[in-house]
Amino acid sequence: MKCFRRLITTLAVLALFYLISPQKAYAYLDPGTGSYILQLIIATALGAAFAIKVYWKKIKTFFANRSSKRPREGEDDD
Amino acid sequence: MMTNRKLPSSFRDPSGFLFFRDGFIYRQVNIIYKEDYDHLINSGLYETLVDAELLIPHDEIDIEYARSDKAYKIIKPEPIPFISYPYEWCFSQLKDAALVTVRLQRIAFDFGMSLKDCSAYNMQFRKGKPVFIDTLSFEQYREGQPWVAYRQFCQHFLAPLALMSYRDVRLNQLLRVYIDGVPLDLASLLLPVRTRFRVSLLSHIHLHAKSQEHFADKTVNISGHKMSRLSFLGLIDNLASAIKKLKWQAQGTEWADYYYEDIDYSADALQHKKQIVAEFLDKINPKVVWDLGANVGMFSRIASDKGIQTISFDIDPAAVEKNYLECVKNGETNILPLLLDFTNPSPGIGWENQERTPLLERGPADTVFALALIHHLAISNNLPLNKIADFLDRICRSLIIEFVPKSDSQVQRLLSTREDIFPDYTQRVFESEFREYFTMESSVKIRDSKRTLYLMRRRQTQIR
Repeated sequence: MKCFRRLITTLAVLALFYLISPQKAYAYLDPGTGSYILQLIIATALGAAFAIKVYWKKIKTFFANRSSKRPREGEDDD
Repeated sequence: MMTNRKLPSSFRDPSGFLFFRDGFIYRQVNIIYKEDYDHLINSGLYETLVDAELLIPHDEIDIEYARSDKAYKIIKPEPIPFISYPYEWCFSQLKDAALVTVRLQRIAFDFGMSLKDCSAYNMQFRKGKPVFIDTLSFEQYREGQPWVAYRQFCQHFLAPLALMSYRDVRLNQLLRVYIDGVPLDLASLLLPVRTRFRVSLLSHIHLHAKSQEHFADKTVNISGHKMSRLSFLGLIDNLASAIKKLKWQAQGTEWADYYYEDIDYSADALQHKKQIVAEFLDKINPKVVWDLGANVGMFSRIASDKGIQTISFDIDPAAVEKNYLECVKNGETNILPLLLDFTNPSPGIGWENQERTPLLERGPADTVFALALIHHLAISNNLPLNKIADFLDRICRSLIIEFVPKSDSQVQRLLSTREDIFPDYTQRVFESEFREYFTMESSVKIRDSKRTLYLMRRRQTQIR
């Protein structure tokens, strides 16, 4: 999980640079604007981390099931 | 007082509002919310959430009850016995409320819906557990939309919990000042530097605050920006794990050893006191008890174990935390521990001071316990006995109160560091002051101690 954390940290730092870079101004003014923009940025990274987490769990479950099945198969053979 | 009026806290959401009619609470669902309401019911989300005890159940009733021509439905939600607020909750109560909120959001997403607001005031404690009470907070999820309640979730839950966990548990009182949650720039300022090395807190609080500050005076075209389903799920999942990781350990409470260290309070005295309280309760048979200065709820449980709805108040966050964790462990449904300083009870806050009801308007209780409390009010807080009697008269119909004389070791301890300016603090004056407001039904001296327990009833009989 450490590498995932490092990935998120990197993306968060990138987000910080994004925040201090100049923005194009168009539509509306609201205290929620900053929340909205930040959410869009971090959610991309969190979505990726979530996908990895879900697949990692699936892989772990797959191998856990396989290893728990083996002895039972052995018992059947006996 | 409560007949046929709109609730003063229910005006922001155009989807509908709450109103009282003949002592019951109803919610008008406006036509504007029709599609979302129908989706909530027809998709099976409502049933799933109610079955999981995450959402308050309601009945649809006659549209004749409508308060305006904008009405689509009128619903009658199951009443919450006692409304409490986040600044009255201990750490684990706020944490559990936060976890229920994210769980609710996660389930709603599976049914194609999302929470449009995430106020901590939408959670209430029912049968010992947090439950979501704002049935109109669900909206249909539109592909690509971000979580509109994200900022509110951070302000109402994540920021106060992080402050309580990393800085000081008393910082939950900021919620009493900031009705829409703790401002993130303030949270960021108050949190220790080490929280910047936690990815979730760095993102959802520190960077979030920076981003708000950066865009505060800018207008941004957001129409082209979309958030994928995966990103949405990732965000919710990350917020859930951020909340789960926040911990607070209740250190030894100010009062934890109160009953055992005190030489004037032997095990026998304690047993006798419990027995008297139980006998008094059987005499008056109340439906609702407020235990003031309940500590970890030892005496509250005498009432709640009899099936009486009991609110167990204490000023000490650690005592309330221990009390709540005990309730969770035992699955207790009749007791609600809350954090409260009775020398400064929760005021009315928000618009017109009416959005959140002051504590005194949430009563009166059938019975109030004021056990081992009077000396703290009279001596530590310099409150004259007639002021205490007047206050108790306003919040209850009957009173179980313990008088602790000056000769008691606990009072001696309080007096050891202050001048004795309390010549009127005697059992005789106590009785005469309380007789102004109450009739004394019974008084029993606690065995093996210098203290006396009284059962009193209010003199005035009018319904308040």
